[in-house]
Amino acid sequence: MTLDTRFALIRGSFELDVDLSFNEGEVVAIMGPNGSGKSTFLHAIAGLLPVTSGTLVLNGETFDDAESDTFVDPTQRTVGLVFQGGLLFDTMSVLDNIVFGLRARKIKRATAATQVVPLISQFGLSALLERQPRELSGGQAQRVAIARALVTQPKVLLLDEPMSGLDTATRQLIRQEFREVLASFAGYRILVTHDSEDAFAMADRIIELDHGKVIWDGTVADYRGKK
Amino acid sequence: MNRSRLHRQKLPWQIVLIAAVTAAFFLAPFVGLIWRTPWSKFTDIVTRQEIRDALWLSIETSLITSVICCIFGVPLAWLLARVEFPGRRFIRALTTLSMVLPPVVGGIALLFTFGRRGLIGQYLDRWFGIRLPFTMTAVVMAQCFVAMPFLVLTVEAALRQLDLRYEGVARTLGGSRWYVFRRVTLPSIRPSLFAGFVLAWARALGEFGATITFAGNLPGTTQTMPLATYAALDSNPESALILSLVMIAIAFTILIVLRDRWLGRTDQGVPL
Repeated sequence: MTLDTRFALIRGSFELDVDLSFNEGEVVAIMGPNGSGKSTFLHAIAGLLPVTSGTLVLNGETFDDAESDTFVDPTQRTVGLVFQGGLLFDTMSVLDNIVFGLRARKIKRATAATQVVPLISQFGLSALLERQPRELSGGQAQRVAIARALVTQPKVLLLDEPMSGLDTATRQLIRQEFREVLASFAGYRILVTHDSEDAFAMADRIIELDHGKVIWDGTVADYRGKK
Repeated sequence: MNRSRLHRQKLPWQIVLIAAVTAAFFLAPFVGLIWRTPWSKFTDIVTRQEIRDALWLSIETSLITSVICCIFGVPLAWLLARVEFPGRRFIRALTTLSMVLPPVVGGIALLFTFGRRGLIGQYLDRWFGIRLPFTMTAVVMAQCFVAMPFLVLTVEAALRQLDLRYEGVARTLGGSRWYVFRRVTLPSIRPSLFAGFVLAWARALGEFGATITFAGNLPGTTQTMPLATYAALDSNPESALILSLVMIAIAFTILIVLRDRWLGRTDQGVPL
């Protein structure tokens, strides 16, 4: 079972051109400077941007194929996406954020709230459920964002700079939490970061992008040796 | 030294002087109105049946207009903000055209489109027996024509400022486009939607040119406050003065509410 991303994606003058394969169970960190195409890559996997040519295939199911005009909607891809700062919905409580994915599937709020109890307890969010996102610390917001992403039981977990903007102490704490979350998640795990410390702490494999091209693909140990 | 003293000492007098003249320019006409107002007749004039009818019609039609502007304007604003399609710039220009057109031109256009012999109006009359001019519906249509751009522009600007990643996350969580629009997008732009609603209401409340051209000036049916004020100017200037004051009071209240709700308190600015 693999996630195969062999595609080009053109946005204006920028072109992302990748030929990468991911295995279940490995944690892959994608690194590179700003504008290298890291986030664009995640957006393509999530279905928020269509590929211009090539294919994107998860476990044998084609998600995106420009030639045959196949495009699976983001709602059907079972991909969990966590952004920097969590990007919680400001107009909803923490609980409503967490159950969003279930409510979108027409599950009643009370039923959804019962279903997410184990997740809430796993992330230690019980005391925060009625709070508004603006009342949370950076670390708490990230925990809520991950819980929200995991509610729909995704096959792929995409983390886009999840630790940017956190102070050093929180970062250390969250890094540990992320490591545990990633370890307990069975599917494909891809982390975008510009911080090599985050990548070294959490990933098994590092892919480095620059100007939309892959310039490194190897193990963390090899990458550290190279540097 | 406290903050207000610090401000006062650093204020450049040249700017203050010009600003004071500008403020006086806006203030003077209102002082003129208040000065000439026959206060002893105020209650008598305001409580007259035709004036109460005009006031009620204005409030009723302007509120209906604002609701219609929201129902039809928000989808248009979303389309203009989010979807690239041929002719988008043309549609945007067309939508906002009535902001710069003299309202009477809008009224003429409506008359020649929805009037009894108009492009669409002739069929409405022939097939359904519907005659729009000189009805309350015509008042609402004229108001929508001039007020809609205020809502569309406000909401479109808010939609353009929204971080698209919020909607992206919501989509990956399984939200259909409609669900995401209702649960994520719309609540996020609520302050701007409110501002657009109030602006459209204020514009509709003061609408004159398009209304008198398309809906006429029939007391009790299409005579709104601005029309009643204009009509009174000929026959009873004292009434016109009092009606003007009533309209100013309503508009001023709306703008004060809007300023607090929309712009927030601005007295926390950076010291000069």
